[in-house]
Amino acid sequence: MNPGQAQLTADDIVAHLDDLPSLPVVVMELLNSIDQEDVDISVLAKKVSYDQALTAKTLRLANSSQYGLQVKATTIQQAITYLGFQTTRSLIMSAAITGCFPEGRCAGFDDKEFWRHSVATAACAKVLARQIRFNQDYAFTAGLLHNIGRLVLVSSFPEQYAQVIAYRAEHDCTVLEAERTVLGVDHVQAGVALAERWNFSDTMRLAIGNYPTPEAPGAGFLAALIHVANAIVCALDLAQSGDDMVPHVSLVAWNALGLSEETYLQLFRETELRYDEITAALLSQAG
Amino acid sequence: MAVTHQYLPLDQVRPGMILSDVLLDAHGQVLLPQGAVLTENTLSLMPRHGIDMLPIAAPGISPEEQARQQEAHRARLDYLFRKYDADNPADAATSMLHSYVSSYRLGAPV
Repeated sequence: MNPGQAQLTADDIVAHLDDLPSLPVVVMELLNSIDQEDVDISVLAKKVSYDQALTAKTLRLANSSQYGLQVKATTIQQAITYLGFQTTRSLIMSAAITGCFPEGRCAGFDDKEFWRHSVATAACAKVLARQIRFNQDYAFTAGLLHNIGRLVLVSSFPEQYAQVIAYRAEHDCTVLEAERTVLGVDHVQAGVALAERWNFSDTMRLAIGNYPTPEAPGAGFLAALIHVANAIVCALDLAQSGDDMVPHVSLVAWNALGLSEETYLQLFRETELRYDEITAALLSQAG
Repeated sequence: MAVTHQYLPLDQVRPGMILSDVLLDAHGQVLLPQGAVLTENTLSLMPRHGIDMLPIAAPGISPEEQARQQEAHRARLDYLFRKYDADNPADAATSMLHSYVSSYRLGAPV
């Protein structure tokens, strides 16, 4: 394909998905089981343990103060016993996905900055979820993955994506606008395509597909939560991305959360505290 | 509320240092309030709460330095929120976020 000439279509994205790095089989099994409760936990725990790097990273995250373990977990089975299956599963997925994309393939795309933003959004989404008694594991995972479509585009079309970055810098527009203008597709479409290929749950797919437009019919509550978390992370400048821009915040999403100013101030603080720690757990070895 | 602080690993924190921030445990419960003077005893309890970094107040920041940092925060916020229009009703939620983050960073809405 001739960069800059032809616009891409959704079909092009799908056609390139097979070239993406694949997740460990056991992680795919975990992803597929996210909405079901009757998986055989001991079998999965055992399979994860065969992957030492994944196990180490998962345990580092599990032992961070975010999860408040009184005793350090030293095996996946222990983590499940202490934290429950749902939470451990979300930790394993986070650990696997943050290590799976190759870095430095696209000029101008800062992988570290990307992951800082993703991890910060995950941390913020989890804090928000606790405030409003929403499932914290869903919130954390969706926060981590909300932008995953950018990595899909960067990995599949690195030259074209370099032009997206240049266009965005030149016009100071949103990432979505730059992508649509230069590529003809955007990272939300790419994220949904990946979510389908990787069999993410409906909840997760809806959140990835609707986080920029949480007021769309059927967008789902998680999309609203991630929408707000994403904006907070930009406003707090957590990713330390030079030309970052706070996106338009949807009044529908904002009102759906219904939090007071006092609560926001408290959760800004808590997000900043958690962020440092999760970054250390998830990103230290990647970097 | 523009707190100047640094995160120090537990082994570099000495008794007598001052907590620049409220310290929460994993459940969001307050362990120690902002401004608490750390003692040998409290420090020895940190590992039990899984805490290995503490926000420590940077000593002796001059008012000029503080004003300079305020100004830097304000400029950065203006830049990050450069695309929103305070007078546009459609930006009402963005406006609230701007006001809250300003309070958080600068101590007062701008």
